[in-house]
Amino acid sequence: MAEAMTIAGKPGRGDGLFHALCFSAAMVLMATLAGLIVALFIGGWPALSHFGIGFFTSSTWDPVADEYGAAGPIVGTLITAFFAMVLALPLAVGIAVFLVEFCPQRIAHWVAVAVELLAGIPSIVYGMWGLFVLAPWFAEHVQMPIIMNAEPGSLMERLFMGVPNGANIFTASLILAIMVLPYIATVFRELLLSVPTHMREAAYGMGCTPFEVTTSIMLPYIRKSAIGAVMLGLGRALGETMAVTFIIGNSHAFPQSLFDSGSTIASTIANEFTEATGDMHVSALIALGLVLFAITFTTLAAARLLLGKERV
Amino acid sequence: MNFEQTATQQPTVMVAPDAAERVLDVRGLDFFYGKHQALHGVDLPVARGKITALIGPSGCGKSTLLRTLNRIYDLYPGQRAQGDIHFNGENVLAPGVDVTSLRARIGMVFQRPTPFPMSIYENIAFGVRLQRKVGRTEMDEIVERALGRAALWDEVKDKLHQSGLGLSGGQQQRLCVARGIAVEPEVLLLDEPASALDPLSTAKLETALLELKDSVTIVIVTHNLQQAARISDYTGFMLMGRLVEFRPSSDAFVKPETQAMRDYVTGRYG
Repeated sequence: MAEAMTIAGKPGRGDGLFHALCFSAAMVLMATLAGLIVALFIGGWPALSHFGIGFFTSSTWDPVADEYGAAGPIVGTLITAFFAMVLALPLAVGIAVFLVEFCPQRIAHWVAVAVELLAGIPSIVYGMWGLFVLAPWFAEHVQMPIIMNAEPGSLMERLFMGVPNGANIFTASLILAIMVLPYIATVFRELLLSVPTHMREAAYGMGCTPFEVTTSIMLPYIRKSAIGAVMLGLGRALGETMAVTFIIGNSHAFPQSLFDSGSTIASTIANEFTEATGDMHVSALIALGLVLFAITFTTLAAARLLLGKERV
Repeated sequence: MNFEQTATQQPTVMVAPDAAERVLDVRGLDFFYGKHQALHGVDLPVARGKITALIGPSGCGKSTLLRTLNRIYDLYPGQRAQGDIHFNGENVLAPGVDVTSLRARIGMVFQRPTPFPMSIYENIAFGVRLQRKVGRTEMDEIVERALGRAALWDEVKDKLHQSGLGLSGGQQQRLCVARGIAVEPEVLLLDEPASALDPLSTAKLETALLELKDSVTIVIVTHNLQQAARISDYTGFMLMGRLVEFRPSSDAFVKPETQAMRDYVTGRYG
């Protein structure tokens, strides 16, 4: 070697190739996402431009007359997801707190595995269980007694009226709650475990009871990340299709009560896509997809933002 | 010289305060992390209204000893203590002791500052409220007095309702001291409270502790020998899970009696 070694050399050719491979892998993903949005937009445009704001405000969904207003499914999506969270959140927090604070570690491990298994059950199984087991039981033991006992015209009646067949917005929310429960519980457990040991010890060292440590120290400590976890669960509840399609009753009308049958965006698309013949019908369904995408994207983006803000 | 031999062969040198002066009296304490024994028959007298320092090389069991005094080790299954810890005539280690009220009477400040996720004011009010109902004006007074005694009032009086997490490390640690003393405990345990602080913050903390000792008994674990010599009335030197020498600090640092403590304070062991 006559020449002196220099540090100002070209990078090895292998590095360039490696760089290019990683770059294109990332780009494929970005391109897919962009393509998806563009395709949804192009596909949905005829319906969106034809019905305008009415697509979001009207609840007339009539394939025969080729009239499409999606207020029913949109509201159904938001309501079922919201109630699912209302039902699932307290349970999930309870499970997580129990596993972290009270349960002996060896048992906690197995319970945590069981909770995660719950997340592994395919949604169609939840749907069938909902339709064949939960709905009939619910109709007979909850819906009927309420309807029979409600004063005519009372708030009670208005809130709970509906065909007593168990296929309604409330049972759909219930199924959704069971489905998102393991996700929220698992994330909450991990967040609680991430609270520094010295923080817990300091609280117990003050003479706090486990309840006070949990509610006054641990939960406030993970507050922001916990909101992120809830948003992730919400994102899943918004997009869940199969189980909801089974049990929500699939009516496009604007839901009148909690026990009224309804539909969600996802269930509407799943139900009608194979049967959609007219161009406008297909376009309306694609536009629905775009709306759902926008809703979940907003939710997940908010979750990201909150999760990223406070890394604990 | 072998550490193990030093610890086991030499007799314990103990110049203890009178029994009547003791607020805490540890007798024959063994401590186990699972199967591993971390303390071997430790006796520790803690005099009321004094500062007792525990020194010794890392892993000697001084923090473990401190953690038995308020039974904070209870949080971890597998950790257990045997022996007697007399606290006002009761045995802290007895089954059926209400650890919640025990910990309210024996407070603790940790190595790392642990402000709770709430405002400076609430950090202190929170602990007080655990004990009893307190009116707004009385609570204001309690908060001011606690912060004053912890030498923090002047620095935070204009931002009492800001988050405690926004304070500097030294301020956070004094906030934890203020929180600890606001509930008027009889004993305050401090586990290397200054190890994460700069010299100036350390000096402020030490000043605060010296002023506190009239009203609260202090037991402090420290790696800083100068600190132990500066502020403590009694010093216990630990080695390999045993208390090797326990004497008034004025004598202990000038003329250690055991070879092991002599070696430690002259820097021959880390």
